[in-house]
Amino acid sequence: MLLIDRRIFKYFNYHLLGVAALIAICGLMVLYSAGYNPDSPGVPLGAFSINVKSAAFAKQFAFFGAGLVAMLFGMLLSSTSLHRLAIPGYILAIILLLGVALFGTVVNGSRRWFDLGGLRFQPSELVKVAIILLIARYLSRVSPPPGGFKLRDLFAPGALLLLPMALIMKQPDLGTALVVGATGAGMLLFAGVNFRTLIMLALVAAISAIPVWYSLHDYQRNRILTLINPGADPLGSGYHLNQSKIAVGSGEFLGKGYLQGTQSQLEFLPEHTTDFVFSVLAEEWGFMGCVLVVGLYATLIFQLLNMASKIRDLFGAYVIIGVATLFTFHFVTNIGMVIGVLPVVGITLPLFSYGGSSVIVCMLALGIALGIGMRRYQFGQ
Amino acid sequence: MVFLVSLLVIRLWYLQILKGSHFRNLSENNRIRSVYIQAPRGLIFDRKGELWASNRPAFNVELIKEDCPDEKKVLAKIEEIVELPAGSLSLNSPLSRRRRPFEPRVIMKDVSREVVAKIEARKAELPGVVIEATPTRDYLQGELGAHVTGYIREITKDQLADSKYAGYQQGELVGQFGLESHLEEMIHGVRGLKRIEVNAMGMRIGEFSSESERMGNDIHLTINSEMQRAAVEGLAGKKGAVVALDVNTGEILTMVSMPAYDPNIFTGEVKPDVWNDLINGRPSKLNNRVLQAAYPPGSVFKVITGLAGLSEKVVTPRDKVYCPGYYHFAGRNYRCHKKSGHGYVDFESALIQSCDVYYYSLATKLGIDVINSYATRLGLGAPSGLGLAHESRGLMPSTEWKRLYFKKPEDKVWYPGETLSVVIGQGATTTTPIQIAKMIAAIANGGKLLRPQLVREIRGGDNNLLQGFTPEVLSQIDFDPNVLKLVRKALVGVVNDPRGTGGRSKLKKFPDRIVAGKTGTSQVVALEARLKHEDFEDHAWFAAYAPEEAPEVAVAVLVENGGHGGTAAAPVAGMVLEKYFESRSR
Repeated sequence: MLLIDRRIFKYFNYHLLGVAALIAICGLMVLYSAGYNPDSPGVPLGAFSINVKSAAFAKQFAFFGAGLVAMLFGMLLSSTSLHRLAIPGYILAIILLLGVALFGTVVNGSRRWFDLGGLRFQPSELVKVAIILLIARYLSRVSPPPGGFKLRDLFAPGALLLLPMALIMKQPDLGTALVVGATGAGMLLFAGVNFRTLIMLALVAAISAIPVWYSLHDYQRNRILTLINPGADPLGSGYHLNQSKIAVGSGEFLGKGYLQGTQSQLEFLPEHTTDFVFSVLAEEWGFMGCVLVVGLYATLIFQLLNMASKIRDLFGAYVIIGVATLFTFHFVTNIGMVIGVLPVVGITLPLFSYGGSSVIVCMLALGIALGIGMRRYQFGQ
Repeated sequence: MVFLVSLLVIRLWYLQILKGSHFRNLSENNRIRSVYIQAPRGLIFDRKGELWASNRPAFNVELIKEDCPDEKKVLAKIEEIVELPAGSLSLNSPLSRRRRPFEPRVIMKDVSREVVAKIEARKAELPGVVIEATPTRDYLQGELGAHVTGYIREITKDQLADSKYAGYQQGELVGQFGLESHLEEMIHGVRGLKRIEVNAMGMRIGEFSSESERMGNDIHLTINSEMQRAAVEGLAGKKGAVVALDVNTGEILTMVSMPAYDPNIFTGEVKPDVWNDLINGRPSKLNNRVLQAAYPPGSVFKVITGLAGLSEKVVTPRDKVYCPGYYHFAGRNYRCHKKSGHGYVDFESALIQSCDVYYYSLATKLGIDVINSYATRLGLGAPSGLGLAHESRGLMPSTEWKRLYFKKPEDKVWYPGETLSVVIGQGATTTTPIQIAKMIAAIANGGKLLRPQLVREIRGGDNNLLQGFTPEVLSQIDFDPNVLKLVRKALVGVVNDPRGTGGRSKLKKFPDRIVAGKTGTSQVVALEARLKHEDFEDHAWFAAYAPEEAPEVAVAVLVENGGHGGTAAAPVAGMVLEKYFESRSR
């Protein structure tokens, strides 16, 4: 269990924590603006005797409090206990997903949440962590043959990935299903996949795109079509993307100034506290702000990968790579969607987007990574 | 990783730096809505400063869909409140573009204050209903000036597409017909603009900036309202036209077309039956008969035939022609209007008595093309030069006209018998009342063909003069002064000689003001058919000027199916001329 050893402090990755803290601060600042309402009577900020004019900010502030607890919890878990938790965690996640499919609350047409007396909990967010642990455990036991995994080697992990993906897709929550799939696949890819197998899989994916296209919901299909031709229906399916591009583009080099973004403040931009929060940043802080935040994410991911490379414990290293993959996929697809290079799918910007489940799971994942990193001396340097 | 990050940064560079100003524009368009404010139109006055057209607020009942949970229910409620039959109200949708959120749609246009009060009183039951005041026209003279001013109405789809109306917005009121349309640019004013900041729901957040509207320029007409009223009175109950010109300047003193319409009806909703009544017939109530309708001039044309005969020296003033009541030509008898005949007539007595046979005898000596050249020089067969839209040219036939406008070879030939119809103003010849007025004015002023004009002055803000009046001589016809003198002497005889046909135009109140003129009675169809239908009754004409010794004013009167020119048209001309001298002597 927790052993207080001076080496913990020596090996603790302060850079990672620092970058994550910077991202969180930027995120909170942008969210304050996104939720800003000048006519608001003021919302109390947690237990502090401060009132703020941004309800989203006040709630997110509380979520970050819960997130810090989750982070500390993640740091408490050693590589060994995580390894032990991998299979039960996965099974628990599947049970929760089945449970939500049966007893979940429907919000906006999808059954994603458990209602815990006012607090909503989204089990699919937890699946992200569970899948990282499970795939890491698999990879730490089955090392790829020379030249990488062949197709037959991928059946087992593939099936383990597809089960939760299918359950999440059913909710429906395409975004999270893609995150789960991409995180697992990214980890396998990192371990090494045979080049010919990769080509074959790519071909299979391309061919299966046709039946997948027809199985998509109409609104999902429209989002993809919108990406190709955004002007086709500017007030319908293209509205999100158009308004988002206007917000981003109109930020120009230095932005319109904090709290001055007309697209978000006047509510032309839908979902500007959640999935489209990056466009608020882009509008108010311009190209400079965007590059800064993209740089922070890149640094965060670099820190994670750098940390993974120093760890002798194979399971631990794969877990950190999983966390890095998770963050990469989240931040690239979210920003890609906001700036109109990827279709609109519900994927949050980690530590920026408003939402308790997202903040807590992101910080839990970072806590796990920091915990593994600071205990790396246990496996010899 | 590096690849993905650089991809994002490149895309951000593209959106924010390369296309930044484009998107900045789009975001401004998103939040700033321009609301145009219609400027009040310029006022219209007659020549003495009497107000013809001003502006007043019109109250429209409008509905904002976003504030109204059930449109049909609200419409039904309004119908109940203002006591309209159920189902009579509907929402006018904009012509071409999508309605913006929170943009009101008009339910009832220009309603009375009583309706406003009724609706305001029960506003609680009418969610989303607002009453909006917009400036609209008030034509103070009603029917009196209808054909001069025209009217204003919401811009049409065709006008929006026309380059003349570039920059106009849908829903703007523009001049239709008459001077309102002709002088649109001068009179319309500059609309104001309010830039309002709105949110995504279209709700008003605040005012951003505004430019105030500028009223249009004031128009001072050449019209004399008293003469105008006299003409309306003279034509009461009849169809016809009166136009009076200042002989020396071309100013139009009177321009009346009857029946007329009240231009004020166009500010509200025009019901289909009202509209059908307006456009029914040819010419219809909407048409200005002074300009837009052409009629055979009848014996008025004899002024031109006589002038041509003397100028071309095919007769001398003293040459006499015997009128037995008909003229034998090419194996056929052409009738004189007086069956028993006029006996021996010379130039003067032929014009005074309007003897057809005398002019028939000139026809063969002159030939159609010579007659045509005199008529065209006097402005027939061509637009008057006033410039209002939809003016008729009338028709002045010639051998060339027949050659060009007919298809069959036998129709292309000019038959000498046709000339006999033309010399007495029948046949294919048609003229508009303004052409006749212009022609008689040129006889009166010694051969100056003047451009008829309706505008004396255009004045902008601070009453500063933008456009004054200058008479414009379209052409100076060099008639032999002695010939003109003989023609004018005969025209005096028409009114003042006991045998004359135009005696009823004499001015009782001003016996010293001698009127000179010519009557005309033009056949609509052949004699036999005329008896069956009143529409086939002859058109009555009278063209005159006064005072004879130093002419000041010319007038042309046409009464459709009025019968004889001397009885139906000449008295109207007398009334108008009398009013001229009355208002001048004051």
